Amino acid sequence: MSAEVFAIADTCFLIDWASWRRRNLLFSLFKTVFVPESVLREVRSERTIEWIATSLSSGSLSLFTETPDVIAFARSLVEKSKLLPIRGIDLPEAICLAAGKMRNYIVITENRGALMAAEILEELSGINVWRSLKLIAEALRRSLVKNDFREVFAEYEVDTGHRFPKKDLEEVLHELRGEA
Amino acid sequence: MSLEEKLEKWRRLEEEARELRRREADWEFINSQPPRIRAALKLYVETGDIRLASKIAGIEIEDFRELLRLAKIPVVV
Repeated sequence: MSAEVFAIADTCFLIDWASWRRRNLLFSLFKTVFVPESVLREVRSERTIEWIATSLSSGSLSLFTETPDVIAFARSLVEKSKLLPIRGIDLPEAICLAAGKMRNYIVITENRGALMAAEILEELSGINVWRSLKLIAEALRRSLVKNDFREVFAEYEVDTGHRFPKKDLEEVLHELRGEA
Repeated sequence: MSLEEKLEKWRRLEEEARELRRREADWEFINSQPPRIRAALKLYVETGDIRLASKIAGIEIEDFRELLRLAKIPVVV
């Protein structure tokens, strides 16, 4: 199964994307996006819950029930992240990382601790972790959005209160313009 | 990239993000909040750790996310 068929989303990602006017772009990028039960428990607002419930009913999102092996691996990742001078991860993000590694899903996250862990922990070598910057870039690359590149990233920042690191955003815009 | 180089890269990125949060935060708003919320917002500015900050504030992550908007603290990932 192609890795890009499935993704698994963490809490911060879902909360941010629920606020974005183009949030359903997510479902053009993946066949289905798994939402761990532990992540679902953290979501409270009407806006986010409604989006998740609608997407679960259409099959664009799917519930991911954590199995004992995923939880055990996730707990070990939490512990290891606390031993290094990086921002530690907590169990909900760790479950996404563990499932991503074990099931070859793309992990989609807006949690910097998860990005750090993926890059630094040997247990996660080879894992594919995308943040919003990469997802939006991928949507633009595939022409799923026709607007001006910079405008789309700016919309996301306005809608979510998110800020892309300037250097990273400029690199992505440069790459996209090179391909256009 | 060696482990030390990766750690140094993330240390630098974290410092840049912290500076941005400090600079853009609405300190008047933050300082007008009740002690628990004020402490949590300050912790977020310094660490970017939303789960820990929301626990200190005693509110859900999603509600804390809204509070960050009101405090004009950018989320940098």
